[in-house]
Amino acid sequence: MSDGELTAEDVPALTAGAMLYSPSLAPSSLETTVAWLTDRLERDGALRLVHPRTLAPDVGCVAVCVIGSGAALADLPPTGDEFATAVRELEQLSGRPVGAVLPLSAATVSALVPAAVASQLGVPLLDADGMGRTFALIHHTAMHLAGLPVTPLVVAGATGESISLRVPDAWRADALLRAGIDALGGWGALAAYPSTAGEVAAASLPGTVSRLVEAGRVLLGSSDPDTVVARLAAVNGCRRVGRGRIVALEHLSRPTDATIPTHPSSVVVEQVGPDARQLRLELRSEVVAVFSDGSLTAAAPDLITLLDVERGVIAPLDSLWPGDLVDVLVIPAHPVWYSAEALTMVGPASHGIPLDHPRRR
Amino acid sequence: MSRTTAPLALAELVRVDPLARGEVAVLPDPAQRVLRVELAETFDRLARTPAHSLVVLHAEAATGGWSLAAALHVAWERGAAGVVVPRPAMSGASALLARRLGTALVVVDDDAVDVALELAARTAAPESARALRVARCAEELAEQSTVRGVLGVLNAELAPGVVALVAGSSVLAGRAAAVQQREGYREVRMAVNGPGGRAWAALVASLPEAASAVAADVEAHSAEAVLRLARLPLLAAWAQRRLDTSAQAEQERAAFAVLRSSTWPRAAGAGTAHDGQDGAAGGAAGAPAGDEAPRWSTELGWRVEGVNRAVRLERTDLREDDDEPTAELTQLLRAQWGRLRPGWPLVPHDGGWVSWQNTADEPAPAAARRALAGLEHLLADHDLVVGVGAAHRGTPGLVRSVEEARLAVRAGGSDGRATWFEDVGVRAVLARVSAPGVAEVAALALPQLAAARDRLLLAETVAAVLDHGGSLVAASAELGVHRNTVLARTARARELGLALDDPAQRLPLHVACHGLVRAWRATGSG
Repeated sequence: MSDGELTAEDVPALTAGAMLYSPSLAPSSLETTVAWLTDRLERDGALRLVHPRTLAPDVGCVAVCVIGSGAALADLPPTGDEFATAVRELEQLSGRPVGAVLPLSAATVSALVPAAVASQLGVPLLDADGMGRTFALIHHTAMHLAGLPVTPLVVAGATGESISLRVPDAWRADALLRAGIDALGGWGALAAYPSTAGEVAAASLPGTVSRLVEAGRVLLGSSDPDTVVARLAAVNGCRRVGRGRIVALEHLSRPTDATIPTHPSSVVVEQVGPDARQLRLELRSEVVAVFSDGSLTAAAPDLITLLDVERGVIAPLDSLWPGDLVDVLVIPAHPVWYSAEALTMVGPASHGIPLDHPRRR
Repeated sequence: MSRTTAPLALAELVRVDPLARGEVAVLPDPAQRVLRVELAETFDRLARTPAHSLVVLHAEAATGGWSLAAALHVAWERGAAGVVVPRPAMSGASALLARRLGTALVVVDDDAVDVALELAARTAAPESARALRVARCAEELAEQSTVRGVLGVLNAELAPGVVALVAGSSVLAGRAAAVQQREGYREVRMAVNGPGGRAWAALVASLPEAASAVAADVEAHSAEAVLRLARLPLLAAWAQRRLDTSAQAEQERAAFAVLRSSTWPRAAGAGTAHDGQDGAAGGAAGAPAGDEAPRWSTELGWRVEGVNRAVRLERTDLREDDDEPTAELTQLLRAQWGRLRPGWPLVPHDGGWVSWQNTADEPAPAAARRALAGLEHLLADHDLVVGVGAAHRGTPGLVRSVEEARLAVRAGGSDGRATWFEDVGVRAVLARVSAPGVAEVAALALPQLAAARDRLLLAETVAAVLDHGGSLVAASAELGVHRNTVLARTARARELGLALDDPAQRLPLHVACHGLVRAWRATGSG
């Protein structure tokens, strides 16, 4: 990645970074998208990656992401025009031509798709996103916190159909879309937050796409866990809570509620070394909290992830076994997520843990 | 604070309902005092828990997974006495954490609110809780029918203290640690009187030192109450055990006699019909048909189907007109035999004891010999000799093997080794020779030998020389003496009238010597 450009050579690092921010995803589910993006960048050349402030303030922008299930995306691959269709339809709804796209969340498959879309549309990709990681719902964004409306939005499916939506209350958007996305085959191409470059510059989290590439390079550059953790600290403030062995996996360890459709589970890690503590990781679709001897040490919106010590790679959550030696890593989210309002949305209480976030105690 | 208002210890509280219905997962400090009960349904409430409270988790605070871990941490921070958690919220990892934090953890199946209410009632009236505990303990003791069971209840009741039943300086049952002087422990002693009010034994409990003088008084009082309750069940169990053992031995003796009388004529008559396949009709009433073992033999715990190899034990000095061995000796032998050869019965029979090994198929000869090894101490301790029969199938086979074992033991020596019927062979005929009868004849027919002081030595020597066809070398090797000694002894025997060289006298002389050796060994004379 030379300054302001994203090339085909950057795709492996971008992918590795995207995986760091989505530990519940199996790497294989990204293969189609990685191939698609690499192919586009090889054919059409490097993509412009720009800070929102470098564009004229009135340039139209939209946030793009995959909505629905990553597994469904792997089963029902995109035909290739879903995202362009969604952006074009949103242009019509908002009446403003799109001059740049940004990832709604720079993580998982949604970190790769916006680059492919920007390349398809021939517009620059903004080095910014709405989440700085990934959250469950589409209004869990810095733009929403800053007052930008999430709608009108368009979801286009591999079936050739699309849904457009306009809601006065942002939190209704996900509820209304869920049934439609099921009918589209489990996933859809989302274009939302029609706005200007000036609005995006003020409301989004800058630098998050280039940060993914840097983090990815760290992960690909070394398999020594200590080196990886030290270098990640410089890139995204990552810290190690502890190193230990997984001693128990507890499934359905607490009652589920209807708001987030994933099963709660727990992973118990006994720390190794003289000051050994018991680390309890609470899982939803991601690790939402870490308790150290019962004391809440880190919680969403912190990004909590596990590094497989023996192999020096991020351990996907669906491949954990008792006996694995892991580093429990915590990457702080953007400061905007630790305000009282943001914590209500994405803090521990939103995952059924009614405790104060460690950063607010 | 008086004894009646001294707060309950956790160890006391977990012994009464509602916690007695639950499960104690972790109890690091049983002496921990419980001053109050706190029903915590939110973490805000939990964070305000006063010290020495027993926290009952409920609702939001008991949702499982992280909630118990977080509750344990808060309880530890607040110095709570312990945490009570509904079972759905419990996990193995949480028990580990509780152990690490040193926080007591009890799992309950009842509704948490009910549990908290009941616990509050207990802690508000400690003396009534203690009375409940004693009542519950009395119920448990009443259910015990063995000494071991009674001591088990006491040890569970007074944990972490330990209890033993002691007579003099030896521990009869329970945990020996109770009689050792240990740092931080004190002793509570309760005499147990036997029938007639005579001191028989004592219950000794070693309890951890209490936190205060009042607590020490309370604990000693409640421990004494429990120990006192245990005295009667203990005596009953002890008496029952003694009765049971004697009755069981007597029953088995009678049963074996019936088994033998119903089968023996056939087994003996079978002669060449190996394995009892003679097909003769059964004799006595209730006798088994064919090889089938009678049903009551299994009720006694005997196994006779398959291949049996009998073992007979006798006292070395057993005489043919001796009574049955005393019940005490039988009881002692049965206990020791049971330890050495688990699963082998030991039945008093015909002045000695009979045991047998039962296997599905005939074991290899080496394995059979191995099975009889390691009995030397037992034999030496009780001055016993052992004969082993051959292996035969089924009930008739067992009876036959018992008879063979009896012949083997009679034909064998008294050197502390087992004599095998297979090794004895036809020499078993000699076992049928009545030793006292031979001795009576010898007194008349060989008066000089019978009067000699070294008569046993001479008889042994002559028997050995004749056993080896007149070879002095072979006889000296068997007797472990020099050839010249054998020569001198045979010369002396000739002087005393033993005509070794007369072919007409050799057979009766040979038989007589074997009989005399047995007779004189048994009487100890010579």
